[in-house]
Amino acid sequence: MTEEAMKMLAAGLAIGLGAIGPGIGVGILGRGAMEALGRNPEARGAIMTNMILAIAFAEAIAIYALIVAIILVFVA
Amino acid sequence: MPRIGCLGKIVIAALVFMVLMIIGAVFFRLPEMPHVELAAEEVFSVAGFAITNTMLAAWLTILVLGGVCYAATRRMKLVPTGLQNAVEAAVETMLNFVEDVAGKEYGRRFFPIIATIFLFVVANAWLGLVPGFSTIGVIRTGEEGEVLLPLMRGANTDINLPLALALVSCVFVEYWGIKVHGFFRYVRKFFNVSPLLRGTGQVLRGKIRSGVSAISTGIIDAFAGFIEAITEIARIMSFTFRLFGNMTAGELLLFVMVFLIPWVAAIPFYGLELFIGFVQALIFAGLTLVFVVIAVSTREEH
Repeated sequence: MTEEAMKMLAAGLAIGLGAIGPGIGVGILGRGAMEALGRNPEARGAIMTNMILAIAFAEAIAIYALIVAIILVFVA
Repeated sequence: MPRIGCLGKIVIAALVFMVLMIIGAVFFRLPEMPHVELAAEEVFSVAGFAITNTMLAAWLTILVLGGVCYAATRRMKLVPTGLQNAVEAAVETMLNFVEDVAGKEYGRRFFPIIATIFLFVVANAWLGLVPGFSTIGVIRTGEEGEVLLPLMRGANTDINLPLALALVSCVFVEYWGIKVHGFFRYVRKFFNVSPLLRGTGQVLRGKIRSGVSAISTGIIDAFAGFIEAITEIARIMSFTFRLFGNMTAGELLLFVMVFLIPWVAAIPFYGLELFIGFVQALIFAGLTLVFVVIAVSTREEH
């Protein structure tokens, strides 16, 4: 396998596998937020704010994987 | 002219959008894939110090923010109208958010830095979407032939700016922790060896059983303190890469969408980029606020 092909393969694997975890994590967060909202619709402000904050934490992991993929394609 | 219902208007809009997409894809094709560079490109240098296009964009942001605030405070009225009204509403919303998280006592004191971080990041992100950023520039001849060097580029896509903001945020958190708790009490949280020393003292004095259990919990406490110190350092990298990654990926996404279907298909992605810029600014400022509230809070020892 040529070096170019290996880099492309690595980039695809990096972002593909790296986005599985955060995807599931964001889904779990959304489910928790929906359940909390259903139980207590008045606490909407606090629930939404904390959900967005927690989603950003989970999203950051996917962004790390994306950075690795971008570096593999464009810099290495 | 017959009345067109709501659904009819949506269908017509979708058809017009598809026609425009087809026109763009047929007539306005770009000749080649846009040239993407992760590092910020230097526009000119002053006494050996390179001024990059992201630096120019950050200076423009500072001018815009300062200009808006200056214009809003000319001829201030007790009942605000116009620009003063809008700026006051924004400041009040941010102050309420900060005081909700930090409490009344600390809210006012944390507000300047938190609000500045938020406004700076969101203004950088949104100004980077103005048409002309990353498209207007000069032609430079590089190794791959002629390459466009953009004169302005969204400032958050340069890794140095998120890194600088992350360092500011880390210093801010540590400063407040030390200021409220005192230097030695704050550092002792990270080098938590007193339970371990107490256990060793107990063993040496002869109380073997309680001494050994105290030593084992002491080792765990010391290790936990060490992990907390590592977490503080890792937070800098986390902040940096979260902001840099989101903004660079957004810029790349816009480039690729405009390359694939020119002329209209990037419009929904512009909306996405506006939203993501706002959310990332909120995350950066909000997480800094949460960490500084944790650092100044007095936790009782177990």
